[in-house]
Amino acid sequence: MQQVLITALDATNFMSALLLVTLGLVIIFGLMNVINMAHGELFLLGAYMVVAVDRAGGSFWLALFAAPVALAGIGLLMEELVVRHVYHRFIDTILATWGLSIVIKQAVIILFGPTAQQVSNPLPHAFPIAGAAYPAYRLFIMAVALLVAGATFLLFYRTNLGLAARAVIANRPMASSLGINTRRMDRFTFAFGAGLAGLAGAVMAPLMSVDPQMGVGFLIPAFLSILVGGSGTLLGALLGTTLIAGASTVVSSIWTQIIAQVVVFSVAIVVIRLFPQGLTGSRK
Amino acid sequence: MSSPRIGVATTIGVWVVLAAAPALLNEWRMSQLAQLVSYGIFAMSLSFVWGQTGLLCFGQAIFFGIGAYVMAMLTKGMLHGWPSGTGFGLLAASLVPGAVALAAGPLMFRGRGLSGAYFAIVTLAAAVIVERAASHWDWIGGFNGLLDVPPLRIAFGGRQVDLLDTVPVYYTLLAAAALVYAVLLSLERSPRGTVLRAIRDNETRTSYFGVDVARYKTLSFAVSGCVAGFSGALFATQFGFVSPALIGVPLSTEVLIWTALGGREVLLAAFLGALLVRSVESVLSGALGNYWLLALGALFVLTVVLFPAGLFGRVLALPLPKRMRQG
Repeated sequence: MQQVLITALDATNFMSALLLVTLGLVIIFGLMNVINMAHGELFLLGAYMVVAVDRAGGSFWLALFAAPVALAGIGLLMEELVVRHVYHRFIDTILATWGLSIVIKQAVIILFGPTAQQVSNPLPHAFPIAGAAYPAYRLFIMAVALLVAGATFLLFYRTNLGLAARAVIANRPMASSLGINTRRMDRFTFAFGAGLAGLAGAVMAPLMSVDPQMGVGFLIPAFLSILVGGSGTLLGALLGTTLIAGASTVVSSIWTQIIAQVVVFSVAIVVIRLFPQGLTGSRK
Repeated sequence: MSSPRIGVATTIGVWVVLAAAPALLNEWRMSQLAQLVSYGIFAMSLSFVWGQTGLLCFGQAIFFGIGAYVMAMLTKGMLHGWPSGTGFGLLAASLVPGAVALAAGPLMFRGRGLSGAYFAIVTLAAAVIVERAASHWDWIGGFNGLLDVPPLRIAFGGRQVDLLDTVPVYYTLLAAAALVYAVLLSLERSPRGTVLRAIRDNETRTSYFGVDVARYKTLSFAVSGCVAGFSGALFATQFGFVSPALIGVPLSTEVLIWTALGGREVLLAAFLGALLVRSVESVLSGALGNYWLLALGALFVLTVVLFPAGLFGRVLALPLPKRMRQG
C-alpha cells in the first residue's frame, strides 16, 4: 500500500514537470503551428540557469525567478531571429528549431563542460505521508506545477488576452481581420512557452543530474503527450502528460527505466496511430 | 534561374572528379574519402524519401544501423546456416531494412495516416527506442557493438580475396554509389517519381486524382530503407566495427544536416553535402573543438532559413524529363 502511494506520488511529480514543458510546447504548436524542437533545450537552459546562479553565489530561489524571465527573453530572440522567417514553411520550422537546439546544446557544453553538474536540494527535509517519508522538494514541485498550470488555464480561459490567443488558434486570418495583432501574439506566445520551459528546467534541476543531454529526455515525452492527448486544447496536454508520466513511472518501478522508456514510447506510437487527433480530439 | 543545362554539366563534372580522385589524393585521404562515399549513399537515401516524397524522417539511421548489423552478423558467421559471403550480406543488409520500412509504412500511412510533423516525431521516438534496445541487447554486442567485421570480399579467379587496398575499395564504393544514384534517379524521373513529388507538394490534391497516396509513400519509404541499409553495410565493411551509435538519434540528425546543407531535392547535392560536411569536419574539428558543432548547427539554421534548396541544390538540379517539358 505504502509502495503504491509512493509510486503514485513519483508519477505525479514527473507529471508536474512534464506538464510545464508540455504546456509551453502545446501553446506554441496550437497558436503558431510551429513544432518547437528546441523546447527541450529551453528546459535545459532553465536548469543551467540554476547552476549559473549557484556559481555566482545567488540562492536557488533567485534562480527560480530568474530562469523563466531569462528564458522568455531567449524565446523572444529565437522567434525574432529565426522562427518568424519560416512560419509559412511548416516542415522547415521543425528543421530550424532542431538546428537551434543543436546550437544551444553545444553552447552549453562550451560554457559548462559536457559533464553532469549537481545542484544541492534547497528543501532537504522529508515529509511524513501515511507513514512514509516523502521528500519535501518533490511536493514543492507539484505545488509549483499546479499553481502555474492553474494560472495558465485562467490566463487562457478567463482573460481577454487568452480569448484573443484562442481566437488566433481557432482561425488566424479571421482573428487578424477582427483587429487582433497576430504578430504580437506570436511573440508573446513564444516567450511565454519558453518561460514555462525555463521554469520547468529550474525546478527539476535539484532532482536530476544537470547535463547537456537532459533536454531531449523531456522533449520526446512532451511531444508524445501532446500527440496522445490531442493538440487542440490545454486539457489534451493534461491528459497526455498524465498518461505518459504515469505509465513511465509505473513501468520503471516494476522493471527498469530503459524498459519503461521503450514500452511507453512504443505504446504511445500505437495510440497516436489509432487516434491521430489525440484522445481528446474530435474525429474529422 | 540558371539554365538547366548547367545542371547536366556540373553533374557529369562531379562524377568525373570523383572518378579521378585517386590521382589527386594521397593514400590516407583516399581511405577517408571511401568512408565518406558510404555516408554519401546514406544521404541519397534520405534525399529520396524527404526531398522527393516530403517525408521528413528523423530516424533514418535505424535503417543504416540495421543494414550495418545484418552485414556484420552475416559476414562474421554469427547466423548459422546462412551464407557469410559479401554478396549475400549486401543483399540481406538492403532487403531487411527495406522489409522493415515496408511493414512500418502501412501502419503509419494507411487510413487517417500520420501527417508530416507527427511522422517526424514518431520516427524520432522510434530512433530513441531502437538505440536503447540495441545497447541493451547482448546477442548483438550490447553497448560495445560487434568488433572485427570482415572487409569486402570478391571472387577472384575462383578464390575469395579480401579487398584491402585503398584504391580498389574506393572504386568499389564509387561504383556502388553510381549504381544507387542511377536507380534512384531513374525512379525520380519516371512517371511514378512525378507522383511522389505531387504527394510532397500537395497530398490532398494528389489523392483526389485517384492516387493511392499511402502505397506510394510506403514504397518510397521502403526504397529509401533499402538504400540506407545498403550504405550501412558498406560502412560496416570499411569501419570493421558496428555499435549502437550507428542506429540512433545522433547519426539520424547528422544525415539530416548533410542532406539539408547539400540540397534535399537533388540526389547528388545530398551526396556532396555528406562529403563536404564530413571532410570539413575532419579538417576543422581538431582546431575548433567544441565550436565545430556550434558552427555547423548555426550554418544549418541559416541554410534552412535562407537557402532551402541547399548549397549545391541549384547548380546540380537537372532539367525536367523530356515528357514534362513544354514546346
